[in-house]
Amino acid sequence: MSANIIDRRRINGPQRSVEPIYPKQPTSTSSAGRPDGRAQNAVRPIFVKTGPLSPQASSAACPSGSAYYEQGKIRISCAIYGPRQGRKSNARMGAFDCDFKYAPFSCSWKRSHMRTSDEKEIALMLEQAISPAIRLEAYPKASIDAFVTVIESDGKAATISAAINCISAALVDAGIELYDSVAACSVALSGSQWIYDCTQEEEDKAECSLMMARMPSADEVTYLLQHGKTSPAQTEQAIQASAGVCTQVYAVICHYLQASLEQ
Amino acid sequence: MSSQATVAITPGRRLGLTQEYEAGTGTYVRNGIIYSSILGSKGIKEAEGSGNPTMFVERSNAKFAIPNIGSEVLARVVRINPRAASVAIMMVGSTPCQEDFQGVVRVQDIRATEKDLVQMINSFRPGDIIRAEVISLGDQRSYYLATTKNEHGVVFAQSAAGNTMVPISWEEMQDPKTGDVEKRKCAKAF
Repeated sequence: MSANIIDRRRINGPQRSVEPIYPKQPTSTSSAGRPDGRAQNAVRPIFVKTGPLSPQASSAACPSGSAYYEQGKIRISCAIYGPRQGRKSNARMGAFDCDFKYAPFSCSWKRSHMRTSDEKEIALMLEQAISPAIRLEAYPKASIDAFVTVIESDGKAATISAAINCISAALVDAGIELYDSVAACSVALSGSQWIYDCTQEEEDKAECSLMMARMPSADEVTYLLQHGKTSPAQTEQAIQASAGVCTQVYAVICHYLQASLEQ
Repeated sequence: MSSQATVAITPGRRLGLTQEYEAGTGTYVRNGIIYSSILGSKGIKEAEGSGNPTMFVERSNAKFAIPNIGSEVLARVVRINPRAASVAIMMVGSTPCQEDFQGVVRVQDIRATEKDLVQMINSFRPGDIIRAEVISLGDQRSYYLATTKNEHGVVFAQSAAGNTMVPISWEEMQDPKTGDVEKRKCAKAF
């Protein structure tokens, strides 16, 4: 898309670039094993740090809350501004707005500096997944804004679920009243088996992927996204599996949140 | 709340039943059970009188506030016209707002008595800091504020010469250096 358009405002890199030569990755010999050696139902290790964007020098325009989230190679940062004056200003309930952006270097191909329709669609998904968890009636006329930046991405469904987890942690850090934190996970169908938390490589080979965002304490699913075609029985199987994984992810996020308070 | 082994409570945790406790700040009620809504430490406040004790969750670091009906706010006057004064709400009670909220004080809400004789130019000027009460969530852009109470009104103002003025009555402030008297609707100093 941007091959013919020269960006005159920035110092451009070379138009053509070549990947560096990496050392050979040890590939698993058996076809049943996953490339990174994980079990079929293993989620990548998660790390969460809240408050990395806290005010240090000046408190001018600093976010109310922030979080940095890692899951395997996925790295996402989120800043929450609010509650502040909303633009739409409905008197009854507050509004939750989300802005999602892939950093240009986050995927294995160069992404555009401008927000593409893909990113706008994901931003709407994040709003729909997170809004039910926020006590918006406690913030009439106010607006809570989330700004998500994907620093490194690895698997689209996995990145979106990681973004949801990151926003949850940032909202808790901001002190926004929630019904519950939202935990999300993704599964993909490869052959006849559902494998959990796929990397980009595994997702490219899978026929179908399903992402679920869930509030475990209320036992409510806030968002369900499926790409690809399955039978109803297979989808049901995936939903059952994801619900369990979401609870595990939720426990990990809560553990980090509790640790952040005890500092 | 002394140094007991406080386990941090994350949002969505069950704290108690509404039969035994009242829901305090940082909690919400669903199906007769009190859940936490923020990250913090649990606390129980003893009941005053015959009611149930209150269960609450509190957090030590700053939480940003939004104005609600009846809350007392501190605002800075931005613009005035004969009908209303536009203000930027900076603090609600003793908590700051993350970003200034827009508010409006209509000329009929400045004083409690003789509302038709009030003149904006003798009540507020741009740059004054006022203490007011939120009377309405207002329209799409602003909250509606009122300074009808004695303790509401101008708390800080600078004279035309640029010096901080001292209130000398409910409707006048004086510049201590030049001796000039300017008219404002002053808040009763405590």
